[in-house]
Amino acid sequence: MALPKRIIKETERLMAEPVKGISAVPHEDNLRYFDVTIDGPGQSPYEGGVFKLELFLPDDYPMTPPKIRFLTKIYHPNIDRLGRICLDVLKSNWSPALQIRTILLSIQALLGAPNPDDPLANDVAQKWKEDEKGAIETARQWTEQYAKP
Amino acid sequence: MSQPATESQPPPAQPSGHRDMMFCHECHDEWYRDEHGLTCPECGSDFTEIIEEGNDPRDQHMLDHDHDMDDDSSLPDLEAISPAMRPLFAAMHANQSPHQHDHTHDDPEEPDISSLQFRQVGPGRFSVTGTVFRTVSPPGGGGPPQAARAPNAGSGPFGGLTAILTNLIHGGIAGPQNPTQPAQGSQDHQPGQGGQMDEGAGSQPQAGVPGGAPQVHRFTYTAGARLAPRDPNNPGPRLEPVDELNNVLVGLMAAFGEPPDHHHHEHFHGPPPPINPLIQLFAQMLPGSGQFGDAVYSQEALDRIITQLMEQNASSNAPGPASQKDIDSLPRRKVGVEDLGSEGHAECSICMDEVNVGEEVAELPCHHWFHHACIAAWLGEHDTCPHCRKGITKKNDAPANENSRNQAGSGEGAQASTSIPSMPGAFVTGEGSSENPYVISGSPPAHPHNEDGSGNNGSTTRTDAAGAEDSSAGGGIGERLRRGLFGPPR
Repeated sequence: MALPKRIIKETERLMAEPVKGISAVPHEDNLRYFDVTIDGPGQSPYEGGVFKLELFLPDDYPMTPPKIRFLTKIYHPNIDRLGRICLDVLKSNWSPALQIRTILLSIQALLGAPNPDDPLANDVAQKWKEDEKGAIETARQWTEQYAKP
Repeated sequence: MSQPATESQPPPAQPSGHRDMMFCHECHDEWYRDEHGLTCPECGSDFTEIIEEGNDPRDQHMLDHDHDMDDDSSLPDLEAISPAMRPLFAAMHANQSPHQHDHTHDDPEEPDISSLQFRQVGPGRFSVTGTVFRTVSPPGGGGPPQAARAPNAGSGPFGGLTAILTNLIHGGIAGPQNPTQPAQGSQDHQPGQGGQMDEGAGSQPQAGVPGGAPQVHRFTYTAGARLAPRDPNNPGPRLEPVDELNNVLVGLMAAFGEPPDHHHHEHFHGPPPPINPLIQLFAQMLPGSGQFGDAVYSQEALDRIITQLMEQNASSNAPGPASQKDIDSLPRRKVGVEDLGSEGHAECSICMDEVNVGEEVAELPCHHWFHHACIAAWLGEHDTCPHCRKGITKKNDAPANENSRNQAGSGEGAQASTSIPSMPGAFVTGEGSSENPYVISGSPPAHPHNEDGSGNNGSTTRTDAAGAEDSSAGGGIGERLRRGLFGPPR
């Protein structure tokens, strides 16, 4: 199946105009599969960390959202221990006007604004609600331990 | 549970030979028909059966456990165990609520776990500690000293039990040692209740490795089984879910391990004891994929299934499709200079192809525009503008999408279908009638007077979708981001 023009354009643009703190590089043998890194946003417990993700564009992209997963271990109420991300725009609020670039920005924003009221990792979310300071400290430690290049 | 007197006595003392035993296919519970009737007292299921001589439904569930043993005439009757179990039951009973007692007292396989401690560790929580003796002896020997001494040397109530076990193992030679206790009817064979007990019961004492040293396997399993009686007047204590099956299985596997030797089969002139099929079964399930049909026995398998479910349901909350008619009737217009951005370029944000002045595009009611083919593909799945999420279906006037079309067909005569409660997103109910149950959306209603319920349903769905739009306009991260990137609706 030929690669849709849109995917080629998005890839070209990601390469030509990279977004600061975000990178997405397609695999040579599968141009729908991207190695992604996202820098932890400033003033968050993830600051200074570089988080690896994998991104896959399904056949019906952009009518369905890309599949994205954290590969780097991260302590976050909306990201579970398998790296699955709870983010509305990756699920029911996906729109074909969104792009790889914007989705990755959304994920970066999610790191800066955890939402323990809509948790994917229940234990983390509970900790976040009960002891936010402690949770943030744990997130910082995890960043230190797992997300340092 | 009817009379305390009955409960305090172990079943062998009851004239049980002619009592009807019931079996529940749902939860595998067993009970006497004259005590609890035909409905399962455990789970309330009606899917029950009277256990009869030639028709024992437990066969399928217990891997023919009981009957492998029974049918072999060279073995002592399994029921010879019963007297030995009395002290055990009595000891257990002291710690148990009557409710729980009922579940365990009549398990003839319990002697396999020759020491069983039942401790209540909290409301509704029990800890089971068991020790399994595997008395091993030279095959064909006249009974090891261990066995001969057992009735006297055994400590406490379990001494007699050990003797019986030994008899079982060397059944062909020794025969029943307790002639005073006549064999009971097969109705007394009751497999254990509750998961962990069941698996515990699956272990048979095994003999076979020459050497004569008993092998002792211990296991402790603390269960959150919901064994506390319910209080109808008060909310029950918050119980944790029953322990993960995986933990139970792994614990038991570790406790029992593989049989030390397959030699012991010689002692049974019948099929091998059921521990082997059981262990094999679990062993098949546990490693490897951990998936067994719809059931999973490992964290990875569970993760796989959850991921699959999450993906399948990823867009389940998303709005449904717009109607083809609405999509087709989207107004077209030519791209003008004013549509170009500051850099003099414009593109269709779905295919990302550049759009030139004069090219024809389709415009949505919210004035966002796209290639018609592009937006048609999207609206055919979700009736939202890719930029602002506004649907193209008009809400108030002439209903146009599929739900609303049902509304149009709804007549005056409210029929039974109106009483069907409908949820947003539920299957549309009450569309058809008994004569014509399938009504294809869009076709003229065959029974207009039956359409009322679906009309209600349609409007509910619309309202809900509108609410979702409102809330998303309030801004989640994604929405804020999108507005930041694309600007407010043009």
